Amino acid sequence: MPVSRRDFNEVFLGAMALPGFAEWLNAEPRDSKPAFFSPEDFEALESFTAILIPTDQTPGAREARCAQFIDFLLNASAEDPKMQAGWRNAMSTLRDLGYHSAGPEAREKLVEQMAGQQHPTFLFIKQLNTFAFYTSRAGQIQTLDYRGNSYNATFPACTHPEHKVI
Amino acid sequence: MNETYDVVVIGSGACGGWASMDLAQAGMKVLMLEAGAHISAAEQFHHQCLYDLEFRGRGRPGLLRRYSGTERNYRIMLDKEENPYTTSPETSYRWSRSRCLGGRTLHWARAADRMADYEFKAASRDGYGMDWPLTYADLKPYYDRVETFIGVSGEVLGLPQFPDGPFLPPMPLNCAESIFTAASKALGWTSTPRRLAQLTRVHNGRPPCHYCGNCVNGCDVGAMFSTISSTLPPALKTGNLTVRTDSVAAGIRMNGENRAQGVTYIERYSLKPVDVDARFVVLAASTLENTRLMLLSAKGGLANSSGLLGHYMIDQLAGGGVSGFLPKLKGGPARLDDGKSAGITIPNFQNIDKTTARKDFIRGYVMNATGGQTEYPEYAASLPGYGSAWKKEVKSRYVAQARVWIAGGEMLARKENFVELDPEVKDHWGIPVVKIHLTYSDNDRKLMADFQQRAEELFRKAGGETDPAMRRGGPSGFPGGPGSPDEASAAPHAPLGSAIHEVGTARMSASSKDGVLNSFCRAHDIANLYVFGGNAFPSTGDKHPTLTMMALAARGCDHLRENAKGRLS
Repeated sequence: MPVSRRDFNEVFLGAMALPGFAEWLNAEPRDSKPAFFSPEDFEALESFTAILIPTDQTPGAREARCAQFIDFLLNASAEDPKMQAGWRNAMSTLRDLGYHSAGPEAREKLVEQMAGQQHPTFLFIKQLNTFAFYTSRAGQIQTLDYRGNSYNATFPACTHPEHKVI
Repeated sequence: MNETYDVVVIGSGACGGWASMDLAQAGMKVLMLEAGAHISAAEQFHHQCLYDLEFRGRGRPGLLRRYSGTERNYRIMLDKEENPYTTSPETSYRWSRSRCLGGRTLHWARAADRMADYEFKAASRDGYGMDWPLTYADLKPYYDRVETFIGVSGEVLGLPQFPDGPFLPPMPLNCAESIFTAASKALGWTSTPRRLAQLTRVHNGRPPCHYCGNCVNGCDVGAMFSTISSTLPPALKTGNLTVRTDSVAAGIRMNGENRAQGVTYIERYSLKPVDVDARFVVLAASTLENTRLMLLSAKGGLANSSGLLGHYMIDQLAGGGVSGFLPKLKGGPARLDDGKSAGITIPNFQNIDKTTARKDFIRGYVMNATGGQTEYPEYAASLPGYGSAWKKEVKSRYVAQARVWIAGGEMLARKENFVELDPEVKDHWGIPVVKIHLTYSDNDRKLMADFQQRAEELFRKAGGETDPAMRRGGPSGFPGGPGSPDEASAAPHAPLGSAIHEVGTARMSASSKDGVLNSFCRAHDIANLYVFGGNAFPSTGDKHPTLTMMALAARGCDHLRENAKGRLS
């Protein structure tokens, strides 16, 4: 039997009134077990990426699920052992620096030190984290407000007199 | 008994599509052979954001070692394992190809600039090389015909070195392009919106551009010229055209009267060889593939009494350029800056005549400039810092990106740049592949050095801040992986890159001693063999070559039809 619009509205709007339904509807996908990293490494990576690209007025690495993307990518990189080895080394370096066992404030401090030193592991993680963030919807649309890939009736011409003189 | 057609056209790119349409409309029975797959815009071209793609545009790690292109468009590129080629050790040139219905028209840069007499007759002016055996006046009616059909947006300038056409309205400039236009004017250089085969209004039943910026992934509505959007539909409408995809041409068969008898092709998947006969054979499989077929079809090469088949390969000069930011635009609002994938063009203004002659190099180049937001902020990873302040700076610079690049720089034609059949390497079908020998001359390097100086001058005049970490087009691989920015920056600096504008190898000439083709792109030696593409170019000029290839094809089709009078089946 076809479902009428009225039937749908009754069911949907009724569900919306249930406690917790709207939150469930808008929730991020449930975290799954990392496929490439160990749970400890993944937790450290997720926190590191969130320090690099924090949530502020716009989404950060956590909302963009950067660590999840990096884990997914590396798990799919069996043909690229060099890349996988690079990430295992990076996580090993973080562990050796005490990042895994540090608390939130100490982790912030450690990232600050690594940034100041232009530490290779800092730069290494920053590179792929940046890619993961600005190719996500959270980074590209919600943060940068990218306008392309859309249907437009006209192209918005520059209308600024100050741009037409040197 | 083999199937027999009036014409077999090998290839379905810009020239193959044009020839098939032109000759089918003239009532000839045409068979188009395409080595690659059938492509349907409706089924295969869609807007896809990077986050819609499993690997954010870069493809599954390892996939793009096999295929050219990106996760979005590798299906309209080429399987490199099936289609290898080789190069000599000193050759840095890289051959970009497509094997599919429509070929490179599906993702070309759409630049549609006419060549001028100062390019056709350059040898008479500076004494280097050979003039073309035709003039701009010979080709003008064909430029007109092609442009009227495909639709080119642009602005009339009245510059003799940059001839005008029957343009559709130009596309508006974005803010960065306005700034570069003002900078160019301040330097005394003429600039204009890039002339592109991209519609700005309904034209010949095709809709205008909707400014999505997806041209390189295949236009979903056919607003940019391609075979499948433009020449193929009217060709098929005649009922005279048969299209056979997945059909890999292996050679041209000759008869005892020194005429082409037909073509042998191999079915791509069954590997079965098939012979078809034709009164005329048109090679339009791309410059180097055309020459490969001629080399494959006779000992020493078909139509090679001049001994020049394969020689005088030319690309256009590419590489270098400037990228960075325009401070005037920093922190501005987001805009659809990259929706037209265009920019401005600064036509060549040097070595046009005696008054503009340079002492240190001959020939010239065309510059392009654009800026504004792009899909991915290529500069972000190398921008120092992290955290909210870093995010803010990334956003501030996002709309202020800017770049100047070379549209086309004339590389000199030299006999020692050539292609041959590799004696050892064969493709998936057992057909010998081409081996490319291509190096650059001192003049090429001097011309590029001059471009680099002018590009920096323009950038400075616009108030730009350069950022060497920004790379045009972005990295092909994931950060940290093969082809990544870190790998690229570690590689030796290579100022001369490949432009995907390869021409020559069967040049046209007034005398059969000096070239392989006549000025109608017909082989001097074989009366029913035409070669459309870049092969005929005796020199490359500084314009993108596709429009000229199409005009030559249109002129060649006129010749073929005259040639065929009284011989049609």
